[in-house]
Amino acid sequence: MAKINKTRVPMREQPAEERIKNFDSVPLGYTDEEAMAEAQRCIQCKDPSCETECPVNMKIRAMIEKVAEGNFEEAFLIAKEDNPIPAISGRVCPQEDQCEGVCTMGKKADAINIGKLGAFLGDWAMQNGVTEELHIEERNEKVAVIGSGPAGISCAVDLRKLGYRVTLFEALHIAGGVLQYGIPAFRLPKDIVDYELSYLQKIGVDLRLNNIVGQNIKFDELRWEFDAIFIGTGAGAPRFLGIEGEKLMGVYSANEFLIRVNLMKAYKFPEYDTPIVCGDSVGVIGAGNVAMDAARCAVRLGAREVYILYRRTKQESPARDEELEHALEEGVIFEELVNPTRVLGSEDGWVTGIEMVRMELGELDDSGRPRPVKIEGGEFTMELDTVVNALGTLPNRLFLDRTPELETTPRGAIKTDEKLMTNVKGVFAGGDAMSGGATVIQALGEGKRAAASIHGYLSGI
Amino acid sequence: MKHRITRKEDLNAADYLIEVEASMVAERFLPGNFAVLITVPRGERIPMSIQKAEDGKITMLIKKLGKTSVELDSFEVGDSLEAVIGPMGNSPELKRYGNIVFASDLVCGHAENYALCKALQEIEGNHVTSIQTFPTKADIYPKKELSEAFCDEYYLTTLDGSCGIKGHYTEVLKDLLDEGKVDIIFAGGDIPALRDLAGLTEPYGVPTIVTVRQIMIDATGMCGSCRVFVDGEMKLTCIDGPMFDAHKLNFEDIINRMAMFKEKETRAMEYYNKKILPSVGFT
Repeated sequence: MAKINKTRVPMREQPAEERIKNFDSVPLGYTDEEAMAEAQRCIQCKDPSCETECPVNMKIRAMIEKVAEGNFEEAFLIAKEDNPIPAISGRVCPQEDQCEGVCTMGKKADAINIGKLGAFLGDWAMQNGVTEELHIEERNEKVAVIGSGPAGISCAVDLRKLGYRVTLFEALHIAGGVLQYGIPAFRLPKDIVDYELSYLQKIGVDLRLNNIVGQNIKFDELRWEFDAIFIGTGAGAPRFLGIEGEKLMGVYSANEFLIRVNLMKAYKFPEYDTPIVCGDSVGVIGAGNVAMDAARCAVRLGAREVYILYRRTKQESPARDEELEHALEEGVIFEELVNPTRVLGSEDGWVTGIEMVRMELGELDDSGRPRPVKIEGGEFTMELDTVVNALGTLPNRLFLDRTPELETTPRGAIKTDEKLMTNVKGVFAGGDAMSGGATVIQALGEGKRAAASIHGYLSGI
Repeated sequence: MKHRITRKEDLNAADYLIEVEASMVAERFLPGNFAVLITVPRGERIPMSIQKAEDGKITMLIKKLGKTSVELDSFEVGDSLEAVIGPMGNSPELKRYGNIVFASDLVCGHAENYALCKALQEIEGNHVTSIQTFPTKADIYPKKELSEAFCDEYYLTTLDGSCGIKGHYTEVLKDLLDEGKVDIIFAGGDIPALRDLAGLTEPYGVPTIVTVRQIMIDATGMCGSCRVFVDGEMKLTCIDGPMFDAHKLNFEDIINRMAMFKEKETRAMEYYNKKILPSVGFT
């Protein structure tokens, strides 16, 4: 048996100095040969822990086996059995905390690059026009899915495959939720998102854009018209620190910054109509994936200095390893152990800087991370002209304010039972609207679980 | 779904009226609601005041202010808009208020004035007064687009006195307040004028509800761009407004932040004037 290569087949990438000038994909993808070579490193564990760690329990071992053989079509169909959007999850999952984190190979060498293989298969299928053949047996029951983000997509696909008549309601003018408005094109090219979403319509999901449930469609209307409802409205509400100076021009929520850039294509202004004002010195408060996305967008918009301002250290950053590495390669400066206390402004109302206090790490808090503690006398200021708040988001109030019958947690997330049913019979929820803020793949998993529960509910199982 | 323009008329040199097919918005419209327009696939999402909604169509009053409103003015009857979304925002409770005054001095204001007068005059016990201000006689809208037909009392003012009463609506309002004949005021239009209005009515203790138009993108409560501060608490114009209690609103903040994209707007306008717009879609 040939010796197994301990290191991964490297993924070709746009060099940092090039990619900061464009919004094109940073990873350039595996060739067929590279994908096969990477897959051949897999030792095909008897008990593949990668599959148990996967929130949608993809049949990863079998998928990789087929890639190793060069049978990409079968590999793709295996991936697609459990995951409606492998090209997307392969790019945005925190694999190091899931499949790749428990990979047996990873104990002594590099873990198998499962994410990139998933993305490779999704791309390969798109380029070669390969889709699964479905034989849908139609049912009469109608299900409404609210929100076309990851949770809504997986729930809609699974229900449609079971034969339900599925209507997918999307508030914005483009479907995809956070995949469109949140994640930048250099991380998730939008033609991939569009392709994956076109699949939904191909299998007969009725997609209704610009339909804002709670605003121009009453929740009660849906309850009247549909036999079951899935709520996947996400965690789209902005958060600010609530410190002085946040009224100044140049202060954004990460949502606004990213919606302008990603959904409305402000990086192509004035060719596209929506503008963005991004200064030379940008401070992004927070260190999660959204913060990295905003910081990397700022770099591409031409900012000379972009800082991540974080009250803990790099080690505690909740961002994917790849995003953090890419951000640093692109020149983003990680300012650790700082806590903003005030945004400073000019007389004409623009941001001029930020006042912060140095922190140190104390004892572990409830999240198991060291609690940042203020250092006495550690106040200092930094000159900035743009401030982006990437502090996490909250469930969207627009929907929840108008559905008082739904029970929520004190943080505003929708309460569900173990089957993901809310306190209202026949109404289910999943994704960030229920969890308050997690990952694409977790939302996909919840969408699938909810679809199974809805099937059980409607068929009396 | 495309939204066909069924009527388009100039209201004056700067303002125009546009009627479009938008069945969902029209069926569900309540006075005070607004619409979000996307004119072309590469377009921005912009909030627009709705004057009336009937037969599956809505009528909006628009000022030629920025690139999008100027470009939309080049559209003709029969052309279609990319998207007309809504109705957005909240409507005030349609009930008996007593002596109601509506005051407005810009497109966003005149449209709400028309819609609210029409709805509230029908409710028994309401005495509806409207004050509409225009810069000069030449700027006054055609009579059928004014709220006069739905009022018990109507005042038209021009800033230069070339027609009607000379001055701004705040001046007429002061007389009405002094007479003690006002139970509630609704107003919309120029934000600094609304700030002055709030200052004027506060000593009289008359509830004053103003329509605010702050910069919006998604208009579904996601971006926070349209945040305003009411009694120090952050509210979003798109989902909590667009009408707020003028006595609790931080007007300085609104006025400041409306200037954020001024330079970009000028650039967009220059770009548009060069007529080098490619026909691109969202990809």
